[in-house]
Amino acid sequence: MTEPIIVTEHLTHIYAPGPQQKIALNDINLEIERGDCTAIIGVTGSGKSTLVQHFNGLLRPTSGRVLVNGIDINAKRTDLKTLRQQVGMLFQFPEAQLFEHTVFADVAFGPRRMKLDKREVRRRVQHALDTVGLPHREFAARSPFGLSGGQMRRVALAGVLAMLPSVLVLDEPGTGLDAEGREEFYYYLRHIQQEGVTIVLVSHDMAEVASLANWLCVLHQGSLVMQGSPRHIFAQGDQLRKWGLAAPPLSELLALLRQRGLPIPEETLTMDEAFDLLRQGVSQRETR
Amino acid sequence: MNGSPFIDIQHVSYAYPQEGREQPVLALQDVSLRIQPGEYVALLGHNGSGKSTLARHCNALLTPTGGRVLVDGMDTSDTRQQRAIRDRVGMIFQNPDNQIIATVVEDDVAWALTMRGLPAQLIRQRVEEAMEAVGITSLRERAPQQLSGGQKQRVAIAGMLALRPQGIVADEATAQLDPLSRQEIVALLHQLHERFGLTIIQVTHFLEEAALVQRIVIMEQGQIVMEGPPASMFADLERLRQLKLAIPEPIALAARLRDAGLPISWDALTIESIAGEIAR
Repeated sequence: MTEPIIVTEHLTHIYAPGPQQKIALNDINLEIERGDCTAIIGVTGSGKSTLVQHFNGLLRPTSGRVLVNGIDINAKRTDLKTLRQQVGMLFQFPEAQLFEHTVFADVAFGPRRMKLDKREVRRRVQHALDTVGLPHREFAARSPFGLSGGQMRRVALAGVLAMLPSVLVLDEPGTGLDAEGREEFYYYLRHIQQEGVTIVLVSHDMAEVASLANWLCVLHQGSLVMQGSPRHIFAQGDQLRKWGLAAPPLSELLALLRQRGLPIPEETLTMDEAFDLLRQGVSQRETR
Repeated sequence: MNGSPFIDIQHVSYAYPQEGREQPVLALQDVSLRIQPGEYVALLGHNGSGKSTLARHCNALLTPTGGRVLVDGMDTSDTRQQRAIRDRVGMIFQNPDNQIIATVVEDDVAWALTMRGLPAQLIRQRVEEAMEAVGITSLRERAPQQLSGGQKQRVAIAGMLALRPQGIVADEATAQLDPLSRQEIVALLHQLHERFGLTIIQVTHFLEEAALVQRIVIMEQGQIVMEGPPASMFADLERLRQLKLAIPEPIALAARLRDAGLPISWDALTIESIAGEIAR
């Protein structure tokens, strides 16, 4: 077992301490395993964004600790520049932050600020573009503003990847994309994860979470109220509703079938599993 | 159908203004669509298909480059009528934060009426009714920026209802909401449709939001490519996939089971009705 890449210990964050204070995070203890895709889920205002902003030192704990690669983000000697290069963040609607005339210049912005030599910058930009499915020969010289929404979002993703992060934090990555744009984005994310990058997903889109994450952490009013595998979490539809969340539509359907007395195991998650179960039901009925 | 349509879109083309020498791209190409008073229509399509552009023609936010749009008989290109048209067809947008103006919920709901200089007594009465209709009466004294996304959308809808419109265009109004808020806003639109007989045009790329509407209209490359009641649209999942729409998993599962010989009605489009069919 390797140690987790991110650990929070009794992490509490209070906005505006004093009489008007708001406890945004309350005693959060969690571990993010290396190479996983972990989703932080919860409704707006549950503390998801506040939590992940601790992962690269954008916010500091009011109390408790956050360790990234074993290093305390709050320690005096911690180099925030290095930390932010290690933990890349893609915010919501990142395409709104594209500003250069060419795709190349936009992706090169971060590496250039690191004062890398020209050849290294070019190498990184080309690799990052290829990784997100925008072959550099075809796209590097183009204006980012002539691309589709999904392509623009992948240019922004390439800009983060060009910093060679070991953790990639994404805030609602699928929002605003259509079905095809989402599927493409998810495809490249899976690929990036296979290359060894740890992924942290902030989302309230359960279909997105179901298709990407292998571990879920549920936040409710600043507290970590549940964590587990998607199979485990999505089987608790009623509990999720109390926190303002809903299981993915397929899990909801299976829950209704269970209520109607069909013997469907709690851990059924995918379409193929559900189909196999229910089709067997048919053949049993026919032979009866 | 009898009677004149509430919204009559006749051979409409639209090109967004372009900079410099670039060829204008037609966002709408010869689109014709008649929406009857009190109808509930879902306008679907992937990003860039033209659905939002078409929706914005329904209350004169955009006016056609070619063809014309009549709302309740008024031509949207007639600038003297645009105010009346916008009072008749309200619009809510994707980002709830961009639609909030005042610092207190009830002032925000009253905003448009106040701007029109209506008597205070009348404003108070309309604001009460609108807040009640969308279920935000208890939030009246709250600051809108402290509300959830779903609550903000309710405030935006109330502000529009206070003007007593005959129709609502909801342009991706659920796209940025939590799943539960999304379901709640869609349920609210259905309630308003039933209770006040409002014409509703709901723009979305979520097929599952369209299961209960009266008519689905699907756009692709600036044209209407499919149109009909939900059950007939969902009968051709392959075509919907080609149009880059995500098929809701319960509906895809129902189709696979039907193909495998299970007797599942084509009309079962909601999770509840599909469960009923499978467990029969």
